[in-house]
Amino acid sequence: MPKFVLDGKEISFELGETVMEAAWREGIEIPHYCWHPGLSIAANCRMCLVHVESGRQMAMPQLAFDEDKGEYVPASKPKLQPACQLAAVDEMVVSSTNDEVKAAQASVQEFLLLNHPVDCPICDQAGECKLQDYYYEHQGTMKRKLTEPVHKPKGVRFGPTIVYDAERCIMCTRCIRVCDEVAKDHVLDMRERGNKNEIVLAPGRELDHKYTLMTEHVCPVGALTSQDFRFKARVWFLKSGQGVCTGCATGCNTHVDYDPRYGKVYRLRPRDNADVNQFWMCDDGMMTYARQDTDRTLMPTAGRGDERTPVGEGEALDLAAAKLKAVDASKLAVVLSAQHTTEDNLALAKLAASVGADRLYLAALGGWEGDDILRSDDNNPNRAGATQAAGGATLKSVGDLLADVQSGAVQGVLALGWATAEKLEELAPLVALDGVVSLTSHVGALPASASVVIPVADTFEIHGSFVNGKGLTQAFGPTLSPPGGIEPAWKTIAELAGKLGKDLGIKDFQELSQGLADAVEAAQ
Amino acid sequence: MEPADELSNDQASLELSADPMRLNMGPSHPAMHGTIRMVIDLDGETLVNLDVQPGYLHRGFEKSCERGTWAQVFPYVDRLNYVSPMLNNVGWALAVEKLLGIEVPERCQYYRVILGELARVADHFTCNGASAMELGAFTPFLWLLKVRDWVWDILERETGARMTHSFGRIGGMAAPPTATFKDDVLRLIPEVHKVVKETEIMLLRNRIFLDRMQGVGVLTKEQALSYGVTGPMARSTGIPYDVRKDHPYLVYDRFDFDVPVGEDGDNWDRFMVRLEEIRQSVRIIEQAIEQMPDDGPINVDDPRIVYPAKDDVYTTIEATIAHFKLVMEGLRTPKGEVYSFIEGGNGELGFHIVSDGSGTPYRVRVRPPCWYGLAASREMLLGGMIADIIPTFGSVNMIGGECDR
Repeated sequence: MPKFVLDGKEISFELGETVMEAAWREGIEIPHYCWHPGLSIAANCRMCLVHVESGRQMAMPQLAFDEDKGEYVPASKPKLQPACQLAAVDEMVVSSTNDEVKAAQASVQEFLLLNHPVDCPICDQAGECKLQDYYYEHQGTMKRKLTEPVHKPKGVRFGPTIVYDAERCIMCTRCIRVCDEVAKDHVLDMRERGNKNEIVLAPGRELDHKYTLMTEHVCPVGALTSQDFRFKARVWFLKSGQGVCTGCATGCNTHVDYDPRYGKVYRLRPRDNADVNQFWMCDDGMMTYARQDTDRTLMPTAGRGDERTPVGEGEALDLAAAKLKAVDASKLAVVLSAQHTTEDNLALAKLAASVGADRLYLAALGGWEGDDILRSDDNNPNRAGATQAAGGATLKSVGDLLADVQSGAVQGVLALGWATAEKLEELAPLVALDGVVSLTSHVGALPASASVVIPVADTFEIHGSFVNGKGLTQAFGPTLSPPGGIEPAWKTIAELAGKLGKDLGIKDFQELSQGLADAVEAAQ
Repeated sequence: MEPADELSNDQASLELSADPMRLNMGPSHPAMHGTIRMVIDLDGETLVNLDVQPGYLHRGFEKSCERGTWAQVFPYVDRLNYVSPMLNNVGWALAVEKLLGIEVPERCQYYRVILGELARVADHFTCNGASAMELGAFTPFLWLLKVRDWVWDILERETGARMTHSFGRIGGMAAPPTATFKDDVLRLIPEVHKVVKETEIMLLRNRIFLDRMQGVGVLTKEQALSYGVTGPMARSTGIPYDVRKDHPYLVYDRFDFDVPVGEDGDNWDRFMVRLEEIRQSVRIIEQAIEQMPDDGPINVDDPRIVYPAKDDVYTTIEATIAHFKLVMEGLRTPKGEVYSFIEGGNGELGFHIVSDGSGTPYRVRVRPPCWYGLAASREMLLGGMIADIIPTFGSVNMIGGECDR
């Protein structure tokens, strides 16, 4: 494999790779603004200038200040090259830290801050802003310019999700490239030059495709901010967990940014995974974070409609067990959920098997508009996993369940999850049954139709795994703790089984998870 | 109550027991100089065994340092030796500056010397004054503390606080000297000389004082060396070790001053060494005032280390970012570790700091000078009288804040 030397360290590369790319793969960051591993090369920010010390040297004329003479005299300096555009060559020697490069980095940084507004205290990017980081690392001088900074439009609405501030913008064009190359929608472009330079929308358009939040995600400064996250939190108070998006069957990997003081998730960020989502996520997926604290079911209830009343935790389990016992096992429907983890579904399938109920159904959302970028047509994260948990048999739908209830084949229901394509009115046959038990993290039509509702933990609060549309199993852990008294569904299911006089043999999550892995292996 | 002669005819029970009596002194005892406990075994009034138990003022200083930025350690060091907090401020600043490889401007170096020596004067006033008071001489104590208050007046005018100044900054000081600083100090100097002289008149020919101090609590040179004792305690045994002379820092190599040493290592020598050191500190202060430039920068010129001026922070993005970075993440130090030490009130005050390259100390270890004196104090007290614990332990000058951290 060919190799080059960067700052004294040997880096191997594949032919065609740039210096920046090869270094990035090795975990070395050459300072940059406009380069992004998932986007085309623009080489316009000039922050990544490096000095190729090997080979024929190119010199550039310049004027240098001569202290003795007290005036500028002709001099020369080496021609630096942008690392993001510089193809790596075998045995090349590159420096990103010598004096010439340092001077260039400091100058580029000073230039970028020349007209930058004093916005850090009110800017959402503060704390994760590259201008701040690179100022501290590469500039460290005070302002020399004495004139009024150039003013440009601020607070420009680009669309329902994004606000643009031209004064903060460094014109790296990452947002334009994200729209062009990821969303395949040329809705942003740049107009004018120099001081009048700004990012604009295509005439008559809004920034309203399905990947608008990625423009904010790639923005290295605070020029683009998300309407949703704007002024909600300061990033230095946030901690980050790792999750898998629940938006669709793609299963994009996420950073879950939450505030430990309030136990609240504030945003998701895509987590790089070359096999799944590369660097990106869609807007709807990014917004799934809001489920963590909206429309949650927090208390066990019994009864329907106006007669629904809160009951104690143990009482709810007893009630549920009593209702389920009253139904003959052959007429008991067990509904798995495509929104829940494979482990939750496995526990429920085990319960069904232990009581001898063999009518398994699957509750799932009805799909959304997919595309061939990231979005799957199936907006359930774990249809494949639920099927796997049921032993691979094709599961009947909620529509089938309704038909079976009407035909009298089903007289009791134990359902996991809140998600169904059907509305409450469509679930009328269930409302007519006495024994409908729902284990749910959120409110929804399915829990609303149940006579006993027991809350369970949400995806952000549990260990578990999803199997995405391509059959890839992705495990994740809890970012937050569930609200008081609420437990992961698999645990509640095991307790319910206990009330039914069955032992599912689930002691802890590891065992459950291992059992699942063994079952999958055996099936293959 | 029964008459005494009817209580018991058993003569044995009236005899004093031949076994040693075990007593607790402290941890909360007015004569114990802070919270420290001694378990003592007495044969009559003679100490046959004792165990000195520190730790009652442990606050986790070193661990606390690991959760803030480098600059946020200053308030903590104020509370090490709280009798001379300015020396701790200077010591910490010098340690981090050594890690950064920077040196503060000359004017600041003089400023630090003067403030530090004032703190040393206050420290020795306190120690000697308390020693005298505990032997019944209340007047010198009041006189010394009166002048110590005037020292504190100056420190208060300069820093805003009498004790916990938090005045040091990495790369400089929180503020430049006030306009009247030099005059204030010069006006104070004759008062210091006067009160030292008065103290000498009151005490040095006082029979009671002499008997309690001379030949009591002897620490030999060998013991001092083996325990790692430094400062006035070591010098009282004849070891002429003073960090200011042997490893000059700041601008101490530019001053003409003597290192007073004793011969016997007893309470008397420790008392006399401290008195003389007050005079030597004043000599240093006089020379420093003479040499200190009246203008020029106090802080290093690097917004990555020192906070930029507030009006710049409010009007320019560069200063805003520098301020933000310093406050939110702390100044970044290079990876590595250093040991930096100065002459504190009680001897060599060292900071061993380890940096992982972030804005927060990875590990901070303090060498508290009085810790080593405390360790030696058992041998100094053993075989003496119980009453001698007070003057001897007083002259060890154990400061809980520093010793227990």
